[in-house]
Amino acid sequence: MPFVEVEGKQIEVDEDGFMVDPSQWWPGWAHYVAKQEGISELTDRHWQVIEFLKDYYAKTGIAPMIRKLCKESGIPLKEMYELFPTGPAKGACKCAGLPKPTGCV
Amino acid sequence: MSEATGLRQPKKASADLFRKLGVEPVPDNEKVQEAIRHLDDFRFRVRSFVMAMESCVKCGACAEACHTYLGTRDPNNIPAGRVDLIRKAYKRYFTVQGQLFPGLVGAQDLDLETIEKWYSYFYQCSECRRCAHVCPFGIDTAEVTFIARQILYWLGIAPQLHAATAEAILRTGNHMGLTKAGIEDTLEFLAEEIEEDYDGLKVEFPVDKPNSDILYVPSSADFMLNPNTLKGAAMFFKYVGANWTISSEITEAGNFGYLSDQSRIQREMVTRLFREATKLGVKKIVWGECGHGWRAAKMYPPTVSDLPGVKRIPITHIHDEVEAYIKAGRLELDPKRNDRKVTLHDPCNYARACGHSDNMRVIMNAVVPKGAFVEMKPSREANFCCGGGSGILFDDPDMYQFRILASNKKAEQVRETGADTLCAPCSICKAQLYPMVKEHKLPVEVVGLIDLVGHALVFRD
Repeated sequence: MPFVEVEGKQIEVDEDGFMVDPSQWWPGWAHYVAKQEGISELTDRHWQVIEFLKDYYAKTGIAPMIRKLCKESGIPLKEMYELFPTGPAKGACKCAGLPKPTGCV
Repeated sequence: MSEATGLRQPKKASADLFRKLGVEPVPDNEKVQEAIRHLDDFRFRVRSFVMAMESCVKCGACAEACHTYLGTRDPNNIPAGRVDLIRKAYKRYFTVQGQLFPGLVGAQDLDLETIEKWYSYFYQCSECRRCAHVCPFGIDTAEVTFIARQILYWLGIAPQLHAATAEAILRTGNHMGLTKAGIEDTLEFLAEEIEEDYDGLKVEFPVDKPNSDILYVPSSADFMLNPNTLKGAAMFFKYVGANWTISSEITEAGNFGYLSDQSRIQREMVTRLFREATKLGVKKIVWGECGHGWRAAKMYPPTVSDLPGVKRIPITHIHDEVEAYIKAGRLELDPKRNDRKVTLHDPCNYARACGHSDNMRVIMNAVVPKGAFVEMKPSREANFCCGGGSGILFDDPDMYQFRILASNKKAEQVRETGADTLCAPCSICKAQLYPMVKEHKLPVEVVGLIDLVGHALVFRD
């Protein structure tokens, strides 16, 4: 699989640029992905989503149901798409170092 | 190669990913010979393939029947034209005329460029079989697409989405890579939602419960995107007092193997299903909302698995179950709770492959007010695909644009109904239509059918 260099670190990514090993995550990764996603600056609201995703993934090994993400991060779906234009399942998960969702998404 | 030819192609899976799936990609200089060898095998094994190769007279009936051609106007997307990408090689290598006078009979040597075209066009075909429905010779182009995709897979060519999904299947038994902890947490969340939304109604979502009568097999996408479909199913099972369970080993109604690797991944899914059903001691398997997966489960288990349960454990669809209860007058439903103007998108695999049109209408008419259900035109077995069928849900920019084109016809149909709700009871259709209704600015909400059932059920103590 390809590697990308971010802040001097070699990070293995999949074909879509998602981090392969979530344990390598650090905030610099989120800034790097945000730039690619056309997000000019990561605000507190962005970090609320990213932190929730990371915690949830650490506990369960999956990305949360979108509705749960909205309810428990306190960010409504409409705002979620404003924060992450490619959507919570793609842009937000990518920032948080989660794998890209597969199947019917 | 794709850039050189300017072909529209989904992002390809890497060689490393293929190796995880047990496939060593074939080097470029051997691909053509290998593809010919596979074609030769298929012509001896699959009669429908030989018929498709031999019988087409290019009458053109399939052209205007295909939503992909209507959306792209690319001649290679005319079903007969797409099949010709293979037929030319078939004629060249396996017919006397093609061997002697290739130019006269439209025969052509196979080359790498054509194989790249296969990859482009057989992943623009959604295997919806609308062309088969209108073909005067009964050619089923989807059968050719199955074979083309299988050969490509064996060569080491498949979309990243399909190969990554196959990898998740081998690892977890479902497309999304759901873990048991994730499944249980999601279901707990949904049980809380039901309790909040339906006056304290307590509904259980059993997972891996031994000695269950029914194994319910939901789509794994329901755990991320379609919560109301899961809730509807659980509320129905609660209502009828079913002893049911979900299995964390096979939390998947879909079967992406059926869409790109019928030789191994499709088999893995079916084997896993019957192994788990046997372990849990269930008397029946009930399928969730998924079109291609229902076709794969309804028709093909005995052809891909030799576990004895394949022949002994019946499989039904949750729509069949609900329909039977409605017809027996055993569900109290309040249609006023779904006070919407609803239209129904017939998933292709339900309507054109599984005889599954009537049951959806029996249910729909029972769960929405009289006159609230508007048919699309055309509908049932003549319905158009959502444009995402067979898992062509690619999000790289070029392919995403293609999805918009491929759903033009669907958008037109939906708009004409004037509906505010688009019921699309299949996970691929839902995943395609959630973004597509926005792209086409359709003022509709996309829902499943079981969602509407759950919402209309009247629980009395």
